[in-house]
Amino acid sequence: MSAPVSKPTVGDIAVKTAVLLIAALLCFAPFLFQDVRALEVAARICVFIVLVASYDLLIGYTGIVSFAHTMFFGFGAYGAAILLRQMGPGWDAVILGGLAGVLVSLVVATAIGLLSLRVKAIFFAMITLAAASVALVLASQLSHFTGGEDGITYRAPDVFKPSFKLLTDENGKVLRLFGVKLNGKLAAYYFVFASSLILFLVMLRVVGSPLGTVLKAIRENEARAEAIGYRVVAYRTFVFCLSAAIASLAGTVYAVWLKYTGPDTALSFAIMIDILLMVVIGGMGTMWGAVIGAVLMVIAQYYLRDLMGVAADATASIPLLPELLNPDRWLFWLGIIFILLVYFFPKGIVGTITQKGGRG
Amino acid sequence: MPEPSLVTRDLTIRFGGHVAVNQVSCAFHPGELTVIVGPNGAGKTTYFNLISGQLTATSGQVLKGGQNLVGLSPSARARLGVGRAFQLTNLFPQLSVLENIRLAVQARSGHGWRVLSRADSFTELTRKAEHYLEATRLSAVAHTTAAALPHGDQRKLEVALLMAMEPDIYMFDEPTAGMSLDHAPDVLHLIFQIKADPTKTVLLVEHKMDVVRKLADRIIVLHNGELLADGPPEEVMTSQIVRDVYLGTATEETA
Repeated sequence: MSAPVSKPTVGDIAVKTAVLLIAALLCFAPFLFQDVRALEVAARICVFIVLVASYDLLIGYTGIVSFAHTMFFGFGAYGAAILLRQMGPGWDAVILGGLAGVLVSLVVATAIGLLSLRVKAIFFAMITLAAASVALVLASQLSHFTGGEDGITYRAPDVFKPSFKLLTDENGKVLRLFGVKLNGKLAAYYFVFASSLILFLVMLRVVGSPLGTVLKAIRENEARAEAIGYRVVAYRTFVFCLSAAIASLAGTVYAVWLKYTGPDTALSFAIMIDILLMVVIGGMGTMWGAVIGAVLMVIAQYYLRDLMGVAADATASIPLLPELLNPDRWLFWLGIIFILLVYFFPKGIVGTITQKGGRG
Repeated sequence: MPEPSLVTRDLTIRFGGHVAVNQVSCAFHPGELTVIVGPNGAGKTTYFNLISGQLTATSGQVLKGGQNLVGLSPSARARLGVGRAFQLTNLFPQLSVLENIRLAVQARSGHGWRVLSRADSFTELTRKAEHYLEATRLSAVAHTTAAALPHGDQRKLEVALLMAMEPDIYMFDEPTAGMSLDHAPDVLHLIFQIKADPTKTVLLVEHKMDVVRKLADRIIVLHNGELLADGPPEEVMTSQIVRDVYLGTATEETA
């Protein structure tokens, strides 16, 4: 059963091709999909790829289960949101807010890490759950500061206003490229895309670094990693902080894009569950899995209802089927899709495909 | 006789009312291979765990070069040159053989905290790892995952990990356990090579008497957690007290 792992397998190539294709689609999304909703989806995909990949650093690479990942995402989002609200729209607010979010995330992550990464995985998971609940309660209680349940609306820096003209023609009207207005909305999308790309590339670098090999060693056999001389608690605390900081930056980027931050967009446990599902569907321990998982899940969340509406109309003449395919039952179908995915891709889509290629 | 490289002084650990290792005082010297024998449950592996840090002593000291190791983590002790191979195979199962060894080389090199450089750009680490691959005759399976190896090769990898740590103190816990006859000589040969280096101290837990005879410079006998005998092989193996212990347990075990 000695499958060489050094050579790229067919599955490897398939996965990487898919990821490159997704990257290309996201890169040209404003030109390829010229409607507001599609751009919304593309931006959400970008942010969630980073969020899920940073979570994969924990769960897939190091074997740490945390439920506090949305909390760090929220720190970044609220940091930017509060400062944009207080200081007015400007880059200083975005940068300060982002830094504040990262700083709070680092402090909280270090505290949780040093206090509890020594304990068993299940206790650590419970502690992160408790911390995340506290953050959620605080966000809704400190309403003069966070806007409570309503959240905060604010304006993004001027460059990102839809009315802002990146390039103008001789009449002073906004220039179009392939029919797309070169306005602030486009700039905002590319801000999201570029930030996400950079953060993703940084993480890719980290998992391929010497430190990345230590993380895998800790996941595989913590006791032996310690026995050959790696300070496991220090490494785990470090990766917990790193992943928290990246999640926080993703939160800042998303806050700038949405121009609204509230519990539902930045802190709720629904987001945590989304992250978990994406990482499981995509495949743990492979950065590529985060890409595939985030793309599939976000697209399903946005378009499954539409698709079901079409399907229900198409099957209107058949008894029962239109009822089942009623768009209101989209969560039911999403559930079924998850079960099938987990059943047929037990190691996630990327994990299973890579393995299949290895055998063939 | 040179300065001892490792000393245990009144080393004791209690688990509730049970004293698993009881006031064991012993000094080990560079260039010396000490075999630790004793019936099952004598405390041999526990003694190893106390030295390498998997367990913390209730009382007593573990001294290496005058520094007390008690209270230090296993990783700190490993960085101070105390290396340990395990009785039950204890590898990184889903990583390849080369990656396994590379991790041990890298731990020694201190490059583990490099975050933004590429792991495979450290060619000297890979070269060193390949050296240990060859030394343990595992080159052919370099890219196989550790979990997919046959038992004999897993035992060899266990030894290779210890060698790649390049410690001052080598601790082998039944390195040939469960190994077929054609694999065991490879491992014994490796231990022989380490022993030939006068700066290295080797501790070996072993049951097979022919192995003990071949390798030992000195034998210590543990029984019920206590140090029962200590001396050159021929002396210890012919002593009445050791015969009593071994024969005693032998009859208990067969009964």
